Parts: sequence; C-alpha cells; structure tokens
Amino acid sequence: MAKLIRNNALFAKIIKEHAPPQCFIHTTTNLNKCQAGRYRISLRKDFPLTYEMANPPHQIAHRKAWNSWNTSNVDGGVRPAETAVEDLFIRKFITGTWHNLFVSEVIIKRQHNIIRIAGIVHQQANARQMYFLIGYCEELLSYWLQCLVKMELQTVQDKRDVVFKYI
Amino acid sequence: MALNLMKNSIKMNTFSKLQVRSSSGSSEPQFRVLNLKVTKSKPAPRRQPKKFDTAPPRAHQMPTDQNWGNVWPGPRSFHPATVPLPVRQGYGEKQAPPSKYANAELMKIPNFLHLTPPVIKRQCDALRKFCTPWPKELSTDENCEKHFPLETTTSSYCYSSPSIRNSLARIVTLRIKLSHLPLDQHAKDKFRRLVGDRYDENTDYVTIVADRCPTSKQNFDYCMYLLTAVFHESWNVEPWESKKTLEDMEYYDWTKNQSCKSLESMFEVPFDKIEHGKEFSEAVSNLMNNGENLQTLKTYGDTVRKLLGLSKEI
Repeated sequence: MAKLIRNNALFAKIIKEHAPPQCFIHTTTNLNKCQAGRYRISLRKDFPLTYEMANPPHQIAHRKAWNSWNTSNVDGGVRPAETAVEDLFIRKFITGTWHNLFVSEVIIKRQHNIIRIAGIVHQQANARQMYFLIGYCEELLSYWLQCLVKMELQTVQDKRDVVFKYI
Repeated sequence: MALNLMKNSIKMNTFSKLQVRSSSGSSEPQFRVLNLKVTKSKPAPRRQPKKFDTAPPRAHQMPTDQNWGNVWPGPRSFHPATVPLPVRQGYGEKQAPPSKYANAELMKIPNFLHLTPPVIKRQCDALRKFCTPWPKELSTDENCEKHFPLETTTSSYCYSSPSIRNSLARIVTLRIKLSHLPLDQHAKDKFRRLVGDRYDENTDYVTIVADRCPTSKQNFDYCMYLLTAVFHESWNVEPWESKKTLEDMEYYDWTKNQSCKSLESMFEVPFDKIEHGKEFSEAVSNLMNNGENLQTLKTYGDTVRKLLGLSKEI
C-alpha cells in the first residue's frame, strides 16, 4: 500500500513537472493605471500643490526638471547605485534635520566632487538657527560622503508662496 | 437595560454636583467637572506663525553699473534676491509662468551667471601672461605632421563623483603614417603583414590601440614597445624568407613573372629600357591585383597597342 502511495506521489510530481504550457487568454482590456506622483482633486478644491507636485512624472524634462543632477545615470556613468543611495540618504537627513521647514523638494546637484543641496525653506527659524543648521548639515554630510557639500537655500515668508495651484 | 443606564447617569450627575459644591468653599484644588452632556468649548486660538525680520532683496538696491563678476563670483544655484533680472520659469496652462521668487525650477537648472562675457574676458586677460605664442614652424598641418609624425590619443573624463578615476581613461590610441617610418620594400611588406588590419590603406595610417594595462601611462609605454618591436622585426630577414616561391606570393609582382621575361626576350633589352614598358607593367599588375573590370582591361589593351606600335582603333 505504502509503495502504491509513493508511486502515486511520484506520478503526480512527474505530471506537474512535465505539464504542457498553459495559455491564458484575457478577455478584458489592460488597465494601464498610473497613479505615482499624481494627486486627486479634493472635495473643496483647496488642496495646495507646488509646481513640482502639479506636474506628474511624465512632465520631467518637459515642464519640470529632475531633482537629482549627476552624471552617474548617463550612458557609461560610474557608480550609479552609490549615487542613488547617497541621494536618498541626503534627502532623509535634510528633511529630518530641517524638520517641517523645507517647503520644496530637496534638489541635489553634483559637480565633480561638490554636492550642492538646494531648496526652499520656510522662515520659521531665525537666522541664527538657519546658519547653524546649514553649517551642521554641510559639516556632517561632507564627513559622511567625503565630498564638498554646499547648501544653497532660498527662504520664503509664507508657505503659500510656493503653492502653484489648489485642486 | 436602557433604564438602568439612565439611572446610573443620573446618579453620577448628582455625585458630580455634590463634589463641586463641597469643594467650592475650601481652598483645595477643584476637581474637574465631568461633562457628560458634551457642550462645545471655544476652539483654541490658532498659533500665529512667527514673523522674522528679513532684509529686502538685494536686487532692489543694485546699481546698474555694478561689477557683476563680484556679485556672482562662482558657480551657484539661482537666488532670486541676488539676480536683478525678471526671469520666469515654468509652465502654467491658464497663467503666466511662475516668477523667480520661490521657484524651485530655477534652482534646479545649471546657470552660467558666473561666466558672463566680461568675466570670461577678464579671466582670459589674467591667463594670457602664462601663455606662449604658437611656434611659427608649425603654422600648417603638413608642418605639424612632418615634425611630429606620431599621434597619441587619450581621453580624460570629468564627472560628478568623489573619485576622479575612470577606467575608460586608460585606453591609448597611437597613430603614425607608414610613410614616415624608414622602411624598404621588404620591411614595409613585412610590417604590413605584422600589423594586419591595423593598417589603413586609404589613409596610410597604422593605428595601435592598447587597453590591457590599468593606467594610460602603462598603455602608452606598451604601445611604444609594440611599435618598436614591429619596426625592428620587419627589418629582420629570416632565412626561410628566401625560400618564398612565385606560388607563395600574396600579390602579383610583374618583375618576377613570366610576362616580364617574355617582354625582355621579345625586345632583347631590359624592361626598364623599353618604351612604354613601365606603363605595360603597371597595367598588367593592376589587372592581376585588382581583377578584371572594364577600366583595367581597357588600360591593358591600350598599353599593349602602344607597346607594339599599333593604331588606337582596330
């Protein structure tokens, strides 16, 4: 009996392995849904969007530019993975350090061994605190990344200054 | 069940009232009132955002005849308060493009505000004293090629990265015209065979590319070594080279073939003394080396008629 069961299991395994390729036919159309980087219209149409948010990702290089500028991703570029991870780290560090102060995306531009971090900051901290944060970020990031780091910021008095439209 | 709950709530209400009454007379801290009927309290006033005094934009106070190179000395992200230009960037379907204030798009794109024409002129003037004039002897390309026949090509790469190394910078290309090398017919033939398809017949250039070593210096040395080795090897005559017969020839050499001997026996003088002999030899070599086509056949026929003193038209 046990032998029979074993044989049956073996037979099932063989069938499974050598099953003919199945062809699945879809009778419905593809749902090419694209949701990343797009915002829903709110009920009261009062949801503020910056220029960056107002333009979906397919508008990059048409209506808006990239947030990371480097030569790693061009054809034949070196260390693309490292650059991407470093950029992610810089963004996390900046948004955490400048808590609730950045009102735009963090723009990272690389020239040779210089990393320029640009962005628009809300004038919620006084000048002294801002200067401290700039120096702190530049010092720590340049120590970690072994590059010259420069922060080139612009400040706005009101958060609504960066709002492009309300949806 | 519902009744029971009602009773409980009434009890608790009376209890809370008692508590309030009992504590109102004394100086002890009051208990909080249990507010079972939810009554709306006043909403907490919104915290007003702090306003910090900031100086007005510098661009408003700039004189029109200022030295822009001092205002914007080096590469930098765009800053609206420093640039006194009414630039706009962006696209709006039903509105004007966003102005320069709080415009992140302007901060993204690289600008050349530090490289205005007067600044470039000033920098060139400063650098001019370190430059020497171009030598007069090398005024034309032919002169350059005559005095410096060897060309080396390397590429330097600049890119955004903490490292300045690029593996593509190691490749060295060395180029020289074969006619610049002092080679006789045998050596030239052997040189061409040794370099193979590195020789371009149309331009007469020999191109050697080296990329096997990690640095360009090493690759350049290797290129020079290869050129030297091939040059000296092509001058070497090995003993087996004399055993080359007519069947081993890779191309048609007229002087070694039957055609030359027949001509000499016919005219009974050496071939270089025969009138139109050189033309005939060229035509035959051309026909044999390049194959039969209308052009080579026609030239061959014409030269034969010339050689034998026949009329052009039959």
